[in-house]
Amino acid sequence: MTVIIWVTGALAALSALGVVFSRQPLYSALSLVMTIGALSVIFLVLNAQFLFVVQLIVYAGAVMVLFVFIIALLSPGAEDRVRVDSRFVIGAVVALGITVAMVVAARNGITFNNSNVFRAQQIGQASDPYHAFSFDQSDLGLVNTAGNVQTVGGQLFTTFLLPFEITSLLLLVAAVGAVYLTRRTRSGDPPERRERALGRKPEPTLEEDRIEVEVG
Amino acid sequence: MIANFSDIFSIGRVGEDGIVVIMVKAVVVLLALATAAAYLTYAERKVAARIQLRIGPNRVGPLGLLQPAADAVKLLFKENAAPSGRDKLLYLVGPALAGGAAIFAFAAIPISGLTCVGGTVVGDGCNGGYPFHWDLIHVNVSLLFVLAVTSLGVYSLFLGGWSANSKYSLLGGLRSSAQLISYEMAVAFALVGAVILAGSLDLEKIVLAQQGAWFVLLQPLAFLLYFTAALAETNRLPFDLPEAETELVAGYHTEYSSMRFGFYFLGEYINMVIVCSIATLVFLGGWLPLLPWIHSDWLGGLVGVAWFLGKVSALLFVMMWLRWTLPRFRYDRLMNLGWKVLLPLGLVNIVVTGAIVAIRAS
Repeated sequence: MTVIIWVTGALAALSALGVVFSRQPLYSALSLVMTIGALSVIFLVLNAQFLFVVQLIVYAGAVMVLFVFIIALLSPGAEDRVRVDSRFVIGAVVALGITVAMVVAARNGITFNNSNVFRAQQIGQASDPYHAFSFDQSDLGLVNTAGNVQTVGGQLFTTFLLPFEITSLLLLVAAVGAVYLTRRTRSGDPPERRERALGRKPEPTLEEDRIEVEVG
Repeated sequence: MIANFSDIFSIGRVGEDGIVVIMVKAVVVLLALATAAAYLTYAERKVAARIQLRIGPNRVGPLGLLQPAADAVKLLFKENAAPSGRDKLLYLVGPALAGGAAIFAFAAIPISGLTCVGGTVVGDGCNGGYPFHWDLIHVNVSLLFVLAVTSLGVYSLFLGGWSANSKYSLLGGLRSSAQLISYEMAVAFALVGAVILAGSLDLEKIVLAQQGAWFVLLQPLAFLLYFTAALAETNRLPFDLPEAETELVAGYHTEYSSMRFGFYFLGEYINMVIVCSIATLVFLGGWLPLLPWIHSDWLGGLVGVAWFLGKVSALLFVMMWLRWTLPRFRYDRLMNLGWKVLLPLGLVNIVVTGAIVAIRAS
């Protein structure tokens, strides 16, 4: 198990470097897909099977497909080589600081215990609202329940209900905004305006002008 | 270290397979899928021929049964013609991913119920004996696992289309990506109703929850939605716009030849098998027999496999039948159907099912 974690961890780190150092944008995006895949395998080895699947479906299967799609459609050229200047140094220092902070944070969450087994911190035991689900108190049991569909669902709909709903509202706002900005016509409009929306005679109108001002 | 290998996939289930059992299962799954894909091409041609009042392949071997072998040999020995302006790495990644993702997804599909060698099945566990699961890897979210891994297949279509540096390929790749992303939602929403009824994402448990009534009886709308969306997911004919031959030559694999093209073909047919397997497991009772008299030890397990394969074959036949019967959709209609019909109906189905389950529970 530990071997697989090291191998996939190294793979994740390498492909993460590939994201930064690839000169072709499409290769960067595909490296990110590989990073996500390697991380999801680590979730699987930790027996967080639900997180493994969600990682693949949401990030690799949906978000990154759109990224790759856009990159290939816009087909930007190769980037310039990395130059070491003051901005590079500042960025590297900040990145290093964030990495150290994340390692410290992770040490408080997931730790090695003395028998060299990964052990995830138990979530929501004191206020466990999902009464039907009894926690297995052994080390593997803790990891197992932390990754379970029932536990994640129960926590999302009780303890973390407000953050969860606010996040989904945020996504909804983004979706509505995207639809509003790209919309050209509405059903109540006079027919000549709808024809224009089909691309026959693009003429600036009051509303479109206003949108452009907002975007610009 | 090797002793721990099986821990990755079998924690939480009764009994753990050793490395030998896992390797044997992997080889069997791989060979069976490759053979199945080869003979599905044969079946497809025979079905097409019958529908068009022809005879179909009948020269190689008795009834033309060796035709797939001849085709495989031809594919392997053909010249690898490749466009010169291609992206060399990604041009190879595309077909490899197409075959690989499809085969990997099948690993989590159980083709029969738990069999206890030398013991008896009690509930979802074993009372003595060696517990034998009829799947390769066992995760407690196997339904989501299959959906997740098959959703990676979209990269193969897209990369194949993009890397070949050809406009037909690129248009085919873009179309297929848009279509797959759109219909993935419809597929997932159609399955949620059955998941609510079973109370689990584990395919084995979903099948066991259908012992009273198959979910196709309780969720007829969801079954129709799933099967329609699945046709679109596998690029089968009413929805085969990514490779519409009259406008795009052959879509994303226009610029592929010989075995590289063969891998796309392999992935496509294995994806058909996967889609039909999921429909069988979630809606048609999986390996549960219509005639409930045999279920114990080895014989019961094998009879389960036979029932499972029978149901999957029936669904595969329906898919071929539709392909040679229906005309192709127009692209905007395809998108309208996915987003404005299948998706809302799926949502309604989820709400109604959830409400009924909640009312009955309280």
